[in-house]
Amino acid sequence: MGRDERSRGCRAPSDKLLGMTTTTAVSLRGVTKKYASVQAVAGVDLTIRAGEVVALLGPNGAGKSTTIEMLLGLVKPDNGTVQVYGGSPTDAIAQGQVGVMLQSGGIIEDAKVGELLNLVAGLHRDPMPVQEALERAGIADLTGRTMKALSGGQKQRVRFAMAIIPQPDLIVLDEPTTGMDVESRRDFWASMHEETARGRTVLFATHYLEEADSYADRVVLMRNGKVVADGTAAQIKASVSGRTIRATIPGADLAALASLPGVRNVETRGEVVLLQCADSDNTLRHLLENTTAHDIEVTSADLEDAVLAISAAQEETLA
Amino acid sequence: MNRNYLIFDIRRTLRNRRVLIFSILMPLVLFAIFGMTLPKDASEGGISAIAYVMVSMAMFGSMSAAMSSGGVIAAERDGGWNRTLRLTPLKPQAYVVNKVILSLLLAIPPLLVVFAFGMMFGHVHLSIGQWMTVALVSWLGALPFAAIGLVIGYIAKPDSVQPITGLSTMLIAAFGGLWLPVDQMPSVMKHIAQLTPAYWTGLTSRSALTQGGIDTQALLVVLGWTVVLGFIGLRRFRADTARA
Repeated sequence: MGRDERSRGCRAPSDKLLGMTTTTAVSLRGVTKKYASVQAVAGVDLTIRAGEVVALLGPNGAGKSTTIEMLLGLVKPDNGTVQVYGGSPTDAIAQGQVGVMLQSGGIIEDAKVGELLNLVAGLHRDPMPVQEALERAGIADLTGRTMKALSGGQKQRVRFAMAIIPQPDLIVLDEPTTGMDVESRRDFWASMHEETARGRTVLFATHYLEEADSYADRVVLMRNGKVVADGTAAQIKASVSGRTIRATIPGADLAALASLPGVRNVETRGEVVLLQCADSDNTLRHLLENTTAHDIEVTSADLEDAVLAISAAQEETLA
Repeated sequence: MNRNYLIFDIRRTLRNRRVLIFSILMPLVLFAIFGMTLPKDASEGGISAIAYVMVSMAMFGSMSAAMSSGGVIAAERDGGWNRTLRLTPLKPQAYVVNKVILSLLLAIPPLLVVFAFGMMFGHVHLSIGQWMTVALVSWLGALPFAAIGLVIGYIAKPDSVQPITGLSTMLIAAFGGLWLPVDQMPSVMKHIAQLTPAYWTGLTSRSALTQGGIDTQALLVVLGWTVVLGFIGLRRFRADTARA
Protein backbone atom coordinates (compact mmCIF):
# COMPACT_ATOMS: atom_id res chain seq x y z
CA MET A 1 0.00 0.00 0.00
CA GLY A 2 2.08 2.92 -1.20
CA ARG A 3 1.15 6.40 -0.15
CA ASP A 4 0.91 7.27 -3.83
CA GLU A 5 -2.33 5.34 -4.02
CA ARG A 6 -3.96 7.89 -1.87
CA SER A 7 -6.25 10.06 -3.88
CA ARG A 8 -5.92 13.71 -3.09
CA GLY A 9 -8.00 14.68 -6.08
CA CYS A 10 -11.08 15.64 -4.12
CA ARG A 11 -9.35 17.91 -1.64
CA ALA A 12 -11.20 21.01 -0.70
CA PRO A 13 -8.57 23.56 -1.79
CA SER A 14 -8.64 22.34 -5.39
CA ASP A 15 -12.42 22.38 -5.33
CA LYS A 16 -12.32 26.02 -4.40
CA LEU A 17 -9.94 26.79 -7.20
CA LEU A 18 -12.20 25.04 -9.66
CA GLY A 19 -15.22 26.79 -8.26
CA MET A 20 -16.87 23.52 -7.27
CA THR A 21 -18.29 23.18 -3.82
CA THR A 22 -20.33 20.09 -4.45
CA THR A 23 -18.15 17.55 -2.61
CA THR A 24 -19.84 16.33 0.52
CA ALA A 25 -17.44 16.15 3.43
CA VAL A 26 -19.80 14.86 6.10
CA SER A 27 -23.22 13.33 5.85
CA LEU A 28 -25.32 12.22 8.82
CA ARG A 29 -28.71 10.66 8.05
CA GLY A 30 -31.26 9.94 10.77
CA VAL A 31 -28.56 9.35 13.33
CA THR A 32 -29.63 8.44 16.87
CA LYS A 33 -27.81 7.38 20.01
CA LYS A 34 -29.20 6.40 23.38
CA TYR A 35 -27.16 5.99 26.56
CA ALA A 36 -29.12 3.99 29.14
CA SER A 37 -32.31 6.05 29.43
CA VAL A 38 -30.88 9.23 27.93
CA GLN A 39 -31.54 9.92 24.26
CA ALA A 40 -28.27 11.77 23.60
CA VAL A 41 -28.92 12.20 19.89
CA ALA A 42 -32.51 11.98 18.68
CA GLY A 43 -32.36 11.89 14.90
CA VAL A 44 -29.82 14.22 13.32
CA ASP A 45 -29.54 14.95 9.62
CA LEU A 46 -26.56 17.04 8.70
CA THR A 47 -24.65 17.56 5.50
CA ILE A 48 -21.42 19.50 5.46
CA ARG A 49 -20.00 20.44 2.09
CA ALA A 50 -16.29 20.68 1.42
CA GLY A 51 -14.90 24.09 2.33
CA GLU A 52 -17.60 25.00 4.84
CA VAL A 53 -16.75 26.25 8.31
CA VAL A 54 -19.52 25.01 10.57
CA ALA A 55 -20.11 25.78 14.24
CA LEU A 56 -22.01 23.21 16.25
CA LEU A 57 -23.64 25.25 18.96
CA GLY A 58 -25.67 24.20 21.95
CA PRO A 59 -25.78 23.87 25.71
CA ASN A 60 -24.26 21.00 27.67
CA GLY A 61 -26.16 17.81 27.02
CA ALA A 62 -27.45 19.01 23.66
CA GLY A 63 -25.76 16.06 21.94
CA LYS A 64 -22.85 17.92 20.32
CA SER A 65 -20.11 15.66 21.62
CA THR A 66 -22.00 12.46 20.89
CA THR A 67 -22.69 13.70 17.36
CA ILE A 68 -18.99 14.43 16.88
CA GLU A 69 -18.01 11.06 18.35
CA MET A 70 -20.31 9.29 15.90
CA LEU A 71 -18.98 11.37 13.04
CA LEU A 72 -15.46 10.25 13.96
CA GLY A 73 -16.40 6.60 14.36
CA LEU A 74 -15.58 6.60 18.08
CA VAL A 75 -19.20 5.79 18.89
CA LYS A 76 -21.51 3.61 16.84
CA PRO A 77 -24.94 5.15 16.20
CA ASP A 78 -28.01 3.11 17.17
CA ASN A 79 -29.69 4.09 13.92
CA GLY A 80 -28.86 6.04 10.81
CA THR A 81 -25.79 6.36 8.64
CA VAL A 82 -22.60 8.37 8.95
CA GLN A 83 -20.43 9.07 5.95
CA VAL A 84 -17.21 11.04 5.75
CA TYR A 85 -16.04 11.76 2.21
CA GLY A 86 -18.41 9.08 0.99
CA GLY A 87 -16.99 6.31 3.16
CA SER A 88 -16.94 5.22 6.76
CA PRO A 89 -15.35 7.55 9.34
CA THR A 90 -12.72 4.88 10.04
CA ASP A 91 -11.72 4.78 6.38
CA ALA A 92 -11.52 8.57 6.19
CA ILE A 93 -9.30 8.57 9.27
CA ALA A 94 -7.12 5.77 7.89
CA GLN A 95 -6.70 7.91 4.78
CA GLY A 96 -5.57 10.87 6.88
CA GLN A 97 -8.51 12.95 5.66
CA VAL A 98 -9.63 13.95 9.14
CA GLY A 99 -7.75 15.94 11.76
CA VAL A 100 -9.24 16.03 15.23
CA MET A 101 -8.72 18.27 18.21
CA LEU A 102 -10.29 16.85 21.33
CA GLN A 103 -11.43 19.05 24.16
CA SER A 104 -9.22 17.54 26.85
CA GLY A 105 -6.93 14.61 27.41
CA GLY A 106 -5.67 12.71 24.42
CA ILE A 107 -2.04 13.53 25.05
CA ILE A 108 0.81 11.90 26.96
CA GLU A 109 1.73 14.03 29.93
CA ASP A 110 5.32 12.82 30.35
CA ALA A 111 6.21 13.25 26.67
CA LYS A 112 7.91 16.31 25.23
CA VAL A 113 6.04 18.45 22.73
CA GLY A 114 8.47 17.67 19.91
CA GLU A 115 8.42 13.93 20.64
CA LEU A 116 4.65 13.79 20.69
CA LEU A 117 4.29 15.61 17.38
CA ASN A 118 7.01 13.50 15.76
CA LEU A 119 5.15 10.42 16.91
CA VAL A 120 1.79 11.59 15.61
CA ALA A 121 3.35 12.68 12.31
CA GLY A 122 4.90 9.21 12.01
CA LEU A 123 1.50 7.57 12.40
CA HIS A 124 0.04 9.41 9.42
CA ARG A 125 0.59 8.65 5.77
CA ASP A 126 1.27 12.09 4.41
CA PRO A 127 2.07 14.42 7.30
CA MET A 128 3.32 17.96 7.07
CA PRO A 129 6.82 18.59 8.44
CA VAL A 130 6.66 18.73 12.25
CA GLN A 131 8.42 22.08 12.27
CA GLU A 132 5.69 23.54 10.06
CA ALA A 133 2.94 22.25 12.36
CA LEU A 134 4.75 23.71 15.38
CA GLU A 135 5.03 27.08 13.69
CA ARG A 136 1.44 27.15 12.49
CA ALA A 137 0.26 26.35 16.00
CA GLY A 138 2.60 28.98 17.43
CA ILE A 139 4.49 26.54 19.67
CA ALA A 140 7.85 26.31 17.90
CA ASP A 141 9.51 27.55 21.09
CA LEU A 142 7.95 24.79 23.22
CA THR A 143 9.44 21.77 21.40
CA GLY A 144 11.61 20.66 24.32
CA ARG A 145 9.01 21.20 27.03
CA THR A 146 7.26 18.32 28.75
CA MET A 147 3.49 18.27 28.23
CA LYS A 148 2.63 18.40 31.92
CA ALA A 149 4.64 21.61 32.29
CA LEU A 150 2.41 23.43 29.79
CA SER A 151 -0.51 25.73 30.53
CA GLY A 152 -4.02 24.77 29.42
CA GLY A 153 -3.83 27.13 26.46
CA GLN A 154 -0.44 25.79 25.38
CA LYS A 155 -1.73 22.22 25.56
CA GLN A 156 -4.63 23.21 23.33
CA ARG A 157 -2.11 24.53 20.81
CA VAL A 158 -0.31 21.19 20.88
CA ARG A 159 -3.67 19.48 20.25
CA PHE A 160 -4.25 21.89 17.40
CA ALA A 161 -0.85 21.02 15.90
CA MET A 162 -1.78 17.33 16.24
CA ALA A 163 -5.01 18.04 14.35
CA ILE A 164 -3.38 19.75 11.37
CA ILE A 165 -0.32 17.50 11.06
CA PRO A 166 -2.05 14.88 8.85
CA GLN A 167 -2.85 17.69 6.36
CA PRO A 168 -6.50 16.76 6.67
CA ASP A 169 -9.32 17.85 4.41
CA LEU A 170 -11.64 18.06 7.39
CA ILE A 171 -10.74 19.42 10.82
CA VAL A 172 -13.03 18.59 13.71
CA LEU A 173 -12.62 20.53 16.95
CA ASP A 174 -14.53 19.81 20.12
CA GLU A 175 -14.77 23.03 22.14
CA PRO A 176 -11.25 24.05 21.16
CA THR A 177 -10.98 27.19 23.27
CA THR A 178 -12.30 25.86 26.58
CA GLY A 179 -9.99 27.02 29.34
CA MET A 180 -8.22 29.64 27.23
CA ASP A 181 -8.03 33.27 28.23
CA VAL A 182 -9.30 35.94 25.88
CA GLU A 183 -5.96 36.58 24.25
CA SER A 184 -5.20 32.89 23.66
CA ARG A 185 -8.64 32.49 22.16
CA ARG A 186 -8.03 35.32 19.73
CA ASP A 187 -4.61 33.90 18.79
CA PHE A 188 -6.11 30.47 18.39
CA TRP A 189 -8.76 31.67 16.00
CA ALA A 190 -6.16 33.61 14.05
CA SER A 191 -4.23 30.33 13.53
CA MET A 192 -7.47 28.59 12.71
CA HIS A 193 -8.32 31.26 10.18
CA GLU A 194 -5.14 30.42 8.25
CA GLU A 195 -6.36 26.83 7.99
CA THR A 196 -9.82 27.76 6.78
CA ALA A 197 -8.22 30.17 4.29
CA ARG A 198 -6.51 27.10 2.81
CA GLY A 199 -9.97 25.77 2.04
CA ARG A 200 -10.13 23.12 4.73
CA THR A 201 -13.53 22.05 5.91
CA VAL A 202 -13.99 22.77 9.59
CA LEU A 203 -16.54 21.61 12.13
CA PHE A 204 -16.22 22.98 15.62
CA ALA A 205 -18.37 22.58 18.68
CA THR A 206 -18.55 25.55 20.96
CA HIS A 207 -20.33 27.14 23.90
CA TYR A 208 -19.24 30.59 22.84
CA LEU A 209 -21.81 32.29 20.66
CA GLU A 210 -19.38 34.97 19.58
CA GLU A 211 -17.04 32.30 18.19
CA ALA A 212 -19.84 30.83 16.15
CA ASP A 213 -20.84 34.33 15.04
CA SER A 214 -17.33 35.45 14.07
CA TYR A 215 -15.72 32.35 12.62
CA ALA A 216 -18.39 30.09 11.16
CA ASP A 217 -19.99 30.30 7.72
CA ARG A 218 -22.80 28.26 9.12
CA VAL A 219 -24.23 27.68 12.57
CA VAL A 220 -25.94 24.45 13.51
CA LEU A 221 -27.84 24.81 16.75
CA MET A 222 -28.50 21.64 18.71
CA ARG A 223 -30.80 21.09 21.62
CA ASN A 224 -32.04 17.90 23.27
CA GLY A 225 -30.29 15.76 20.69
CA LYS A 226 -31.81 17.51 17.69
CA VAL A 227 -30.82 20.20 15.22
CA VAL A 228 -33.17 23.10 15.97
CA ALA A 229 -31.66 25.72 13.68
CA ASP A 230 -29.25 25.58 10.77
CA GLY A 231 -28.06 28.52 8.70
CA THR A 232 -25.69 31.45 8.63
CA ALA A 233 -25.42 33.46 11.83
CA ALA A 234 -27.30 36.26 10.04
CA GLN A 235 -30.13 33.93 9.07
CA ILE A 236 -30.48 32.66 12.59
CA LYS A 237 -30.50 36.18 14.01
CA ALA A 238 -33.12 37.18 11.44
CA SER A 239 -35.37 34.35 12.55
CA VAL A 240 -35.96 36.36 15.69
CA SER A 241 -37.65 39.52 14.57
CA GLY A 242 -37.99 42.69 16.57
CA ARG A 243 -35.74 44.81 18.70
CA THR A 244 -35.11 45.52 22.32
CA ILE A 245 -35.63 48.98 23.81
CA ARG A 246 -33.72 49.75 26.95
CA ALA A 247 -34.72 52.92 28.82
CA THR A 248 -34.62 54.45 32.27
CA ILE A 249 -38.21 55.16 33.30
CA PRO A 250 -38.69 56.26 36.93
CA GLY A 251 -42.00 54.98 38.29
CA ALA A 252 -42.87 53.12 35.11
CA ASP A 253 -46.34 51.60 34.83
CA LEU A 254 -45.23 48.11 33.76
CA ALA A 255 -48.75 46.82 33.12
CA ALA A 256 -49.44 49.72 30.78
CA LEU A 257 -46.15 49.18 28.96
CA ALA A 258 -46.84 45.48 28.56
CA SER A 259 -50.23 46.18 27.03
CA LEU A 260 -48.79 48.41 24.30
CA PRO A 261 -49.30 46.95 20.83
CA GLY A 262 -46.31 44.92 19.70
CA VAL A 263 -44.63 44.65 23.09
CA ARG A 264 -43.79 41.02 23.74
CA ASN A 265 -42.03 41.16 27.02
CA VAL A 266 -41.19 43.66 29.79
CA GLU A 267 -38.35 43.29 32.23
CA THR A 268 -37.03 45.70 34.82
CA ARG A 269 -33.64 46.16 36.40
CA GLY A 270 -34.21 48.85 38.97
CA GLU A 271 -35.45 51.87 37.06
CA VAL A 272 -34.18 50.44 33.78
CA VAL A 273 -36.90 48.85 31.68
CA LEU A 274 -36.24 46.36 28.87
CA LEU A 275 -38.98 46.09 26.26
CA GLN A 276 -38.94 43.45 23.57
CA CYS A 277 -41.01 44.76 20.74
CA ALA A 278 -42.12 43.73 17.29
CA ASP A 279 -42.51 47.37 16.28
CA SER A 280 -39.92 49.37 18.16
CA ASP A 281 -40.68 52.66 16.34
CA ASN A 282 -44.24 52.81 17.65
CA THR A 283 -43.22 51.81 21.17
CA LEU A 284 -40.48 54.43 21.13
CA ARG A 285 -42.92 57.13 20.06
CA HIS A 286 -45.21 56.22 22.94
CA LEU A 287 -42.35 56.25 25.46
CA LEU A 288 -41.17 59.71 24.39
CA GLU A 289 -44.64 61.24 24.30
CA ASN A 290 -46.23 59.73 27.38
CA THR A 291 -43.46 58.83 29.83
CA THR A 292 -40.35 60.33 31.40
CA ALA A 293 -38.15 57.73 29.68
CA HIS A 294 -34.55 58.78 29.13
CA ASP A 295 -31.19 57.17 28.23
CA ILE A 296 -32.95 55.17 25.56
CA GLU A 297 -31.11 52.49 23.55
CA VAL A 298 -32.57 50.40 20.75
CA THR A 299 -30.76 47.16 19.83
CA SER A 300 -31.55 44.41 17.38
CA ALA A 301 -31.37 40.79 18.44
CA ASP A 302 -27.91 39.26 18.59
CA LEU A 303 -27.12 35.62 18.15
CA GLU A 304 -27.58 35.02 21.84
CA ASP A 305 -31.15 36.38 21.77
CA ALA A 306 -31.85 34.27 18.74
CA VAL A 307 -30.50 31.15 20.37
CA LEU A 308 -32.48 31.83 23.53
CA ALA A 309 -35.65 32.47 21.58
CA ILE A 310 -35.25 29.33 19.49
CA SER A 311 -34.46 27.31 22.60
CA ALA A 312 -37.47 28.71 24.43
CA ALA A 313 -39.72 27.89 21.49
CA GLN A 314 -38.29 24.39 21.48
CA GLU A 315 -39.04 24.01 25.20
CA GLU A 316 -42.65 25.05 24.61
CA THR A 317 -43.08 22.49 21.85
CA LEU A 318 -41.76 19.80 24.16
CA ALA A 319 -44.04 20.92 26.99
CA MET B 1 4.43 -2.91 15.32
CA ASN B 2 5.30 0.72 14.74
CA ARG B 3 9.01 1.55 14.99
CA ASN B 4 8.48 5.27 15.56
CA TYR B 5 6.17 4.54 18.43
CA LEU B 6 8.59 2.04 19.95
CA ILE B 7 11.44 4.57 19.88
CA PHE B 8 9.11 7.13 21.45
CA ASP B 9 8.19 4.70 24.25
CA ILE B 10 11.82 3.74 24.87
CA ARG B 11 12.85 7.39 25.17
CA ARG B 12 10.05 8.03 27.63
CA THR B 13 11.03 5.00 29.70
CA LEU B 14 14.68 6.01 29.77
CA ARG B 15 13.62 9.42 31.03
CA ASN B 16 11.38 8.02 33.77
CA ARG B 17 14.18 5.95 35.19
CA ARG B 18 12.21 4.76 38.22
CA VAL B 19 10.99 1.50 36.68
CA LEU B 20 14.36 0.71 35.19
CA ILE B 21 16.30 1.43 38.37
CA PHE B 22 13.86 -0.47 40.55
CA SER B 23 13.86 -3.51 38.28
CA ILE B 24 17.67 -3.61 38.33
CA LEU B 25 18.40 -2.55 41.89
CA MET B 26 15.90 -4.76 43.65
CA PRO B 27 17.20 -8.11 42.31
CA LEU B 28 20.77 -6.91 42.69
CA VAL B 29 20.28 -6.16 46.39
CA LEU B 30 18.46 -9.45 46.95
CA PHE B 31 21.23 -11.29 45.10
CA ALA B 32 23.84 -9.61 47.29
CA ILE B 33 21.97 -10.58 50.45
CA PHE B 34 20.85 -14.11 49.62
CA GLY B 35 23.39 -15.16 46.99
CA MET B 36 26.75 -13.60 47.74
CA THR B 37 26.62 -14.74 51.34
CA LEU B 38 26.44 -18.42 50.31
CA PRO B 39 29.54 -20.59 50.53
CA LYS B 40 31.21 -20.88 47.12
CA ASP B 41 31.05 -24.65 47.06
CA ALA B 42 27.40 -25.01 48.09
CA SER B 43 25.17 -26.48 45.42
CA GLU B 44 21.47 -26.83 44.80
CA GLY B 45 19.95 -29.25 42.28
CA GLY B 46 23.25 -29.86 40.51
CA ILE B 47 24.28 -26.25 40.05
CA SER B 48 26.18 -23.95 42.35
CA ALA B 49 23.96 -22.28 44.91
CA ILE B 50 25.21 -18.81 43.94
CA ALA B 51 24.37 -19.41 40.27
CA TYR B 52 20.98 -20.72 41.34
CA VAL B 53 20.19 -17.52 43.27
CA MET B 54 21.67 -15.38 40.49
CA VAL B 55 19.31 -16.83 37.89
CA SER B 56 16.31 -16.54 40.22
CA MET B 57 17.02 -12.89 40.98
CA ALA B 58 17.66 -12.05 37.33
CA MET B 59 14.30 -13.65 36.52
CA PHE B 60 12.66 -11.63 39.27
CA GLY B 61 14.09 -8.41 37.83
CA SER B 62 13.09 -9.14 34.25
CA MET B 63 9.65 -10.21 35.41
CA SER B 64 8.96 -6.99 37.32
CA ALA B 65 10.30 -4.92 34.41
CA ALA B 66 8.10 -6.76 31.92
CA MET B 67 5.01 -6.30 34.08
CA SER B 68 5.61 -2.55 34.42
CA SER B 69 4.12 -1.92 30.97
CA GLY B 70 0.73 -2.34 32.63
CA GLY B 71 1.20 1.00 34.38
CA VAL B 72 1.98 2.71 31.08
CA ILE B 73 -1.08 1.22 29.38
CA ALA B 74 -3.43 2.11 32.26
CA ALA B 75 -2.17 5.71 32.35
CA GLU B 76 -2.51 6.09 28.59
CA ARG B 77 -6.04 4.71 28.63
CA ASP B 78 -7.02 7.05 31.43
CA GLY B 79 -5.56 10.10 29.71
CA GLY B 80 -7.60 9.50 26.57
CA TRP B 81 -4.46 8.77 24.58
CA ASN B 82 -6.11 5.66 23.14
CA ARG B 83 -8.86 7.88 21.72
CA THR B 84 -6.23 10.00 20.03
CA LEU B 85 -4.65 6.88 18.57
CA ARG B 86 -8.00 5.72 17.26
CA LEU B 87 -8.12 8.98 15.31
CA THR B 88 -4.90 8.09 13.50
CA PRO B 89 -4.29 5.36 10.91
CA LEU B 90 -2.39 3.28 13.55
CA LYS B 91 -3.88 -0.19 13.83
CA PRO B 92 -4.96 -0.99 17.40
CA GLN B 93 -3.09 -4.30 17.26
CA ALA B 94 0.13 -2.42 16.57
CA TYR B 95 -0.27 -0.67 19.91
CA VAL B 96 -0.48 -3.97 21.77
CA VAL B 97 2.44 -5.48 19.88
CA ASN B 98 4.48 -2.38 20.69
CA LYS B 99 3.79 -2.63 24.40
CA VAL B 100 4.75 -6.32 24.44
CA ILE B 101 8.01 -5.51 22.65
CA LEU B 102 8.61 -2.69 25.14
CA SER B 103 8.10 -5.17 28.00
CA LEU B 104 10.59 -7.56 26.49
CA LEU B 105 13.14 -4.77 25.99
CA LEU B 106 12.72 -3.61 29.58
CA ALA B 107 13.34 -7.18 30.71
CA ILE B 108 16.86 -7.18 29.25
CA PRO B 109 18.78 -4.75 31.55
CA PRO B 110 17.99 -6.59 34.85
CA LEU B 111 19.13 -9.87 33.32
CA LEU B 112 22.37 -8.43 31.99
CA VAL B 113 23.22 -6.50 35.14
CA VAL B 114 22.54 -9.38 37.53
CA PHE B 115 24.44 -11.84 35.32
CA ALA B 116 27.39 -9.45 35.01
CA PHE B 117 27.37 -8.97 38.78
CA GLY B 118 27.35 -12.75 39.30
CA MET B 119 30.17 -13.21 36.83
CA MET B 120 32.38 -10.50 38.32
CA PHE B 121 31.68 -10.73 42.02
CA GLY B 122 29.80 -13.99 42.55
CA HIS B 123 32.40 -16.34 41.09
CA VAL B 124 29.85 -17.86 38.74
CA HIS B 125 31.83 -19.53 36.01
CA LEU B 126 29.99 -20.58 32.90
CA SER B 127 31.03 -21.13 29.31
CA ILE B 128 30.09 -18.44 26.81
CA GLY B 129 27.57 -20.86 25.33
CA GLN B 130 25.96 -21.37 28.74
CA TRP B 131 25.80 -17.64 29.41
CA MET B 132 24.15 -17.11 26.04
CA THR B 133 21.67 -19.92 26.57
CA VAL B 134 20.70 -18.90 30.09
CA ALA B 135 20.32 -15.26 28.99
CA LEU B 136 18.13 -16.17 26.03
CA VAL B 137 15.96 -18.60 27.96
CA SER B 138 15.58 -16.15 30.84
CA TRP B 139 14.60 -13.44 28.39
CA LEU B 140 11.90 -15.64 26.86
CA GLY B 141 10.74 -16.26 30.42
CA ALA B 142 9.64 -12.60 30.47
CA LEU B 143 6.95 -13.37 27.88
CA PRO B 144 4.16 -14.50 30.25
CA PHE B 145 4.86 -11.46 32.42
CA ALA B 146 4.64 -9.12 29.44
CA ALA B 147 1.18 -10.66 28.94
CA ILE B 148 0.33 -10.09 32.62
CA GLY B 149 1.36 -6.44 32.16
CA LEU B 150 -1.10 -6.22 29.30
CA VAL B 151 -3.91 -7.75 31.36
CA ILE B 152 -3.24 -5.41 34.30
CA GLY B 153 -3.01 -2.42 31.96
CA TYR B 154 -6.48 -3.10 30.59
CA ILE B 155 -8.09 -3.98 33.94
CA ALA B 156 -6.57 -1.57 36.46
CA LYS B 157 -7.25 2.11 36.99
CA PRO B 158 -4.18 4.35 36.98
CA ASP B 159 -4.30 5.01 40.72
CA SER B 160 -4.45 1.31 41.56
CA VAL B 161 -2.11 -0.01 38.90
CA GLN B 162 1.10 0.52 40.91
CA PRO B 163 -0.04 -1.39 44.02
CA ILE B 164 -1.61 -4.13 41.88
CA THR B 165 1.58 -4.55 39.86
CA GLY B 166 3.81 -4.36 42.95
CA LEU B 167 1.76 -6.84 44.94
CA SER B 168 1.37 -9.35 42.13
CA THR B 169 5.08 -9.14 41.32
CA MET B 170 5.99 -9.93 44.93
CA LEU B 171 3.41 -12.69 45.36
CA ILE B 172 4.35 -14.41 42.10
CA ALA B 173 8.08 -14.12 42.86
CA ALA B 174 7.76 -15.32 46.48
CA PHE B 175 5.32 -18.17 45.87
CA GLY B 176 6.99 -19.08 42.58
CA GLY B 177 10.24 -19.77 44.41
CA LEU B 178 12.31 -16.95 42.94
CA TRP B 179 13.21 -15.45 46.31
CA LEU B 180 13.74 -18.70 48.21
CA PRO B 181 14.20 -22.10 46.56
CA VAL B 182 10.98 -24.09 46.77
CA ASP B 183 12.95 -27.16 47.83
CA GLN B 184 13.74 -25.40 51.10
CA MET B 185 10.04 -24.82 51.81
CA PRO B 186 7.37 -27.20 53.11
CA SER B 187 6.02 -29.48 50.38
CA VAL B 188 2.66 -27.69 50.26
CA MET B 189 4.57 -24.63 49.08
CA LYS B 190 5.92 -26.60 46.16
CA HIS B 191 2.38 -27.36 45.05
CA ILE B 192 1.45 -23.71 45.31
CA ALA B 193 4.62 -22.72 43.45
CA GLN B 194 3.66 -24.90 40.52
CA LEU B 195 0.55 -22.80 40.05
CA THR B 196 2.62 -19.69 39.27
CA PRO B 197 4.32 -18.98 35.95
CA ALA B 198 7.46 -17.85 37.84
CA TYR B 199 8.13 -21.37 39.09
CA TRP B 200 8.30 -22.63 35.52
CA THR B 201 10.33 -19.74 34.14
CA GLY B 202 12.81 -20.19 37.00
CA LEU B 203 12.97 -23.93 36.31
CA THR B 204 13.55 -23.36 32.58
CA SER B 205 16.30 -20.79 33.15
CA ARG B 206 18.15 -22.83 35.76
CA SER B 207 17.96 -25.93 33.60
CA ALA B 208 20.15 -24.08 31.11
CA LEU B 209 22.95 -24.37 33.68
CA THR B 210 22.70 -28.13 34.22
CA GLN B 211 24.23 -30.92 32.20
CA GLY B 212 20.79 -32.19 31.16
CA GLY B 213 20.03 -29.12 29.04
CA ILE B 214 16.82 -27.13 28.84
CA ASP B 215 13.86 -28.57 30.71
CA THR B 216 11.46 -28.79 27.77
CA GLN B 217 8.49 -29.64 29.94
CA ALA B 218 9.00 -26.43 31.95
CA LEU B 219 9.52 -24.48 28.74
CA LEU B 220 6.21 -25.77 27.40
CA VAL B 221 4.43 -24.70 30.58
CA VAL B 222 5.95 -21.21 30.18
CA LEU B 223 4.70 -21.03 26.61
CA GLY B 224 1.29 -22.29 27.76
CA TRP B 225 1.10 -19.50 30.33
CA THR B 226 2.09 -17.02 27.62
CA VAL B 227 -0.68 -18.20 25.32
CA VAL B 228 -3.36 -18.17 28.05
CA LEU B 229 -2.37 -14.78 29.50
CA GLY B 230 -1.88 -13.34 26.02
CA PHE B 231 -5.37 -14.46 25.11
CA ILE B 232 -6.86 -12.82 28.22
CA GLY B 233 -4.88 -9.65 27.50
CA LEU B 234 -6.12 -9.54 23.91
CA ARG B 235 -9.71 -10.04 25.01
CA ARG B 236 -9.44 -7.16 27.46
CA PHE B 237 -7.85 -5.05 24.73
CA ARG B 238 -10.66 -5.89 22.29
CA ALA B 239 -13.32 -5.02 24.85
CA ASP B 240 -11.56 -1.75 25.57
CA THR B 241 -11.25 -0.73 21.91
CA ALA B 242 -14.83 -1.66 21.13
CA ARG B 243 -16.12 0.54 23.92
CA ALA B 244 -16.76 4.11 22.97
